[in-house]
Amino acid sequence: MAQIQIQQVTKTFGRFDAVQDLDLEIEDGTFVALLGPSGCGKSTTMNMLSGLLEPSRGQIRFDGAVVNKLKPGDRNVGFVFQNYAIFTHMSAFDNIAFGLRIRKRPADEIDREVRQVAQLLGIEEMLERRTTDLSVNDLQKVAIGRSMITKPGIFLLDEPFSNLDAGFRSYMRAELKKLQRELSQTMIYVTHDQIEAMSMAEKIAIMDRGRLQQYGTPDEVYNQPSNRFVAGFVGSTMMNFLPTTLDRSGGDLVLTIPVVDARPVAVHPRDGDGDSDSFTLGIRPEHIELVDPGSSSASLRGTVTLIESLGPRNIVHLTSDGYLLRVTVPPTVRPRVGEAVGLDLDARRVHVFADASGKALA
Amino acid sequence: MKALLTSLRMIVIAAVLCIFLFPVYWTVTMAFKPAEEWTPTGGKTYWVPDHPTFDNFRRIFGGTPGGSDSFLVSTPINATDSIVTSLVTSIVGTLLALAVGTFAAYGISRYRAGGKMLGFSILQLRMFPPIAVIIPVLFLWTYLHLFDTRLGLILIYGAVTFPFVVWLMKSFFDEVPREISEAAIVDGCSQFGAFRKSVLPLVKGGLATTALFVFILNWSDFLIALVLAGNNVVTAPVFLSQITSAATGEEFGSRAALGVILITPPMLLSILIQKHLVRGLTFGAIKR
Amino acid sequence: MEITTDTTTQAGDSLQAGGVPTAPMHPHRHISRLMILPGIVLLLLLVLFPVVMEIYISLTTWTPTTGSQWYLAYRNWTWFGNYWDGLTSPSFITAAVRTIVMTVAATGVEFLLGFGLALLFLEKFIGRGVATVLFLIPMMIVPAVSGFVFLLLLRTDGPLNTAISAIVPGTFEARWLTDPTLAPVAVTLVDIWQWTPLMFLILLAGLMAVPEDQIQAADILGASWFQKLRHVVLPIVKPIILIALIIRGMEAFKIFDAAWLLTQGGPGEASSTISVKLYREAFQNSQWSYVAALAIVVMIFVSLAASQAIKPLERQQERGA
Repeated sequence: MAQIQIQQVTKTFGRFDAVQDLDLEIEDGTFVALLGPSGCGKSTTMNMLSGLLEPSRGQIRFDGAVVNKLKPGDRNVGFVFQNYAIFTHMSAFDNIAFGLRIRKRPADEIDREVRQVAQLLGIEEMLERRTTDLSVNDLQKVAIGRSMITKPGIFLLDEPFSNLDAGFRSYMRAELKKLQRELSQTMIYVTHDQIEAMSMAEKIAIMDRGRLQQYGTPDEVYNQPSNRFVAGFVGSTMMNFLPTTLDRSGGDLVLTIPVVDARPVAVHPRDGDGDSDSFTLGIRPEHIELVDPGSSSASLRGTVTLIESLGPRNIVHLTSDGYLLRVTVPPTVRPRVGEAVGLDLDARRVHVFADASGKALA
Repeated sequence: MKALLTSLRMIVIAAVLCIFLFPVYWTVTMAFKPAEEWTPTGGKTYWVPDHPTFDNFRRIFGGTPGGSDSFLVSTPINATDSIVTSLVTSIVGTLLALAVGTFAAYGISRYRAGGKMLGFSILQLRMFPPIAVIIPVLFLWTYLHLFDTRLGLILIYGAVTFPFVVWLMKSFFDEVPREISEAAIVDGCSQFGAFRKSVLPLVKGGLATTALFVFILNWSDFLIALVLAGNNVVTAPVFLSQITSAATGEEFGSRAALGVILITPPMLLSILIQKHLVRGLTFGAIKR
Repeated sequence: MEITTDTTTQAGDSLQAGGVPTAPMHPHRHISRLMILPGIVLLLLLVLFPVVMEIYISLTTWTPTTGSQWYLAYRNWTWFGNYWDGLTSPSFITAAVRTIVMTVAATGVEFLLGFGLALLFLEKFIGRGVATVLFLIPMMIVPAVSGFVFLLLLRTDGPLNTAISAIVPGTFEARWLTDPTLAPVAVTLVDIWQWTPLMFLILLAGLMAVPEDQIQAADILGASWFQKLRHVVLPIVKPIILIALIIRGMEAFKIFDAAWLLTQGGPGEASSTISVKLYREAFQNSQWSYVAALAIVVMIFVSLAASQAIKPLERQQERGA
């Protein structure tokens, strides 16, 4: 139940900037995913939010108040670690009760609260057990319960489900979302799995090498990536990238792909940085349609190299003048390997990136 | 506030360090003090030697004191023999313990030789006050004509440090995965060949550490050398204790000089093995 | 960091869900026996046999002064006469009690000092590595030399008294080595000086092995420094503390070198530890068979104490801590 403002925050270790000029505003009660590859600075950001690290520059505010110098214990945050960080020498009950015991609450209140939390998480049976007897899944539930019990204003989770079995992971994701909605908690969830982020978050903050790449809703991030990194990172089957030359004609950008028999594509630009010598065209596999190679709607031609049948859809891999492309098609479409096909690119869904800055023009 | 605590911490650490190192400082300075400065004269304690000299070192190697009147009697003292004896008995004793102990450790580690009990009973050996076990050994040794011989000492040193070797080497062997010797056996080695060619090279570091550790133990021994030898065969620590009993006066400086010589090897060696000190001193129970 | 007192766990073992190792098959029993054979021989010869011999002699009143060889000692058979004498002799009982008190005191002080130092060293500071190595030096000093050094330090006119005199009003002239109450303290002091670094090392290793993320979790939950120590750190470090105490206690009980070199167990028998007492009875009073009996009593006592002390450790192992 707190609004978070991260203002121009930088964290430097020696000469290395783990986080650079981060500006982020997280509304009260939202579920935000902090997404990015390893080393992008997301864990460092979490540690600064929790108070385990102090920003080298910039300010962090909770509900308007600057908290840079505040000790972790005074910030009223909950933190769930990737490796649970369970107190190994205590029972599950004692683990969950820890936060209240530290605050010297009376025993009956502690008992009540712990059982309530345990019930919410479905672990009432395990309370008396020692943590060494619990399964990985239950351990993570205990970890969540332990952080919840002090009713923190902000909940920070650092890749909490990456060590769990896949089936349990999706179950926990759903449970966590339910919990967050029930408690209207401000939740920040760190992950490197973009599917997880897309499915759970109201807003996603994508980071790469210490810098914020884009902060938006899943829809925005998916359909209007602000730069090439975001475009390539988000999306289960990766976006196709092709080099292209750019001409402006009447407000539109005309892209000519240096591939044999390619037809130019006209694209409506967004506001973007146009300064670059070279450009890249991006289009998602599901926004390409396979047509007859001779058809007039085909912007490109290619040869099929492989077909992956995934059940609800197929992925067709092709080469076009040396470039490797992927197209998602309905399960009924099954071209033969070696067949020549035409690719109809949906012009409304084509993205253009300036190679110098990576920024998106369309 | 934080800076104040840190400075306080530093001061305490420095103070404790000084207190703990003072005896060493005292020994070293005493070794370089001329006879007049050994004890406080006229109420003045010589915290730092006023006239440092090498006289004491010369003295313990057979030199007669250079005309100083403070030596009551100038029976020459020569510690060379004792130092050599210490070296020989310590080194060979170490080798003996290493040889026998490493085999046993491998047996216990790989093949559970002796089951659970053997390891623990070997540990138990260290629990008996040496004096308790030494007495019958004294009789046995006299009977076997091993009393007051180097061989006699070597054998006992080997036996006494054997538990250390077993437990230490066992902890090192435990860290080598079975698959390595199994792979060697699949390649055609015998059990012993596998041990020798594939496992042993991997624990070379552990072997060295154990050897140094055991050497320090043997080198430091006093009681055993005192009881089982002492006339013809004198190790350096025993010699040190004997310098006074002879009619040569207090000889603080000379004893300190010998002391400095005595403590230098272990100090240097322990720097080499400091990484594994915890492991050694807890019989391999705690590995860092 | 691992703690292994169990001889049956090692790399490559299969672990079942409960964390209990299952021993793989051993088709090579003969090899295993062969490997430990030299060790067993060594032990048999140099330990088992002497102990048996000792038991034999303890049941007689033989001493070398009777002129006969030891194996003829049965001629002076006395059953448990020596044992009775020993167990009812006030000087032996006193020596035993004294040794126990000194052991407990030494180990206790070493633990407290070592723990305090380890806590101080826990957070990094410039020169920590060097300081740690310097601290190890007292441990490495040959006990014969440390005995000698403290002989010098504890002289009535020695540096310790002089230093204390500078702080305390008047002259401080404690007779460390000749006062019957102070002599055992002096001996204990030497042990404390020599072995506190060991406790420090072990405890530091233990403290550093506490998982960082558990500390962080406690931080975020608002635990104070003291609460963290009590609820998170100590439970994890407990087995190591136990091992350190047992091992140190074991060794402290055997104190000989320092006691002998400082005071020869005196004045009178004021600082005679068990080891010193046995030594004196044997080599000054030639009471060999008496000493043999006493030695056996001590060994039995130590074995019992040790097996009791190991129990909490074994329990911890089972719990899979």
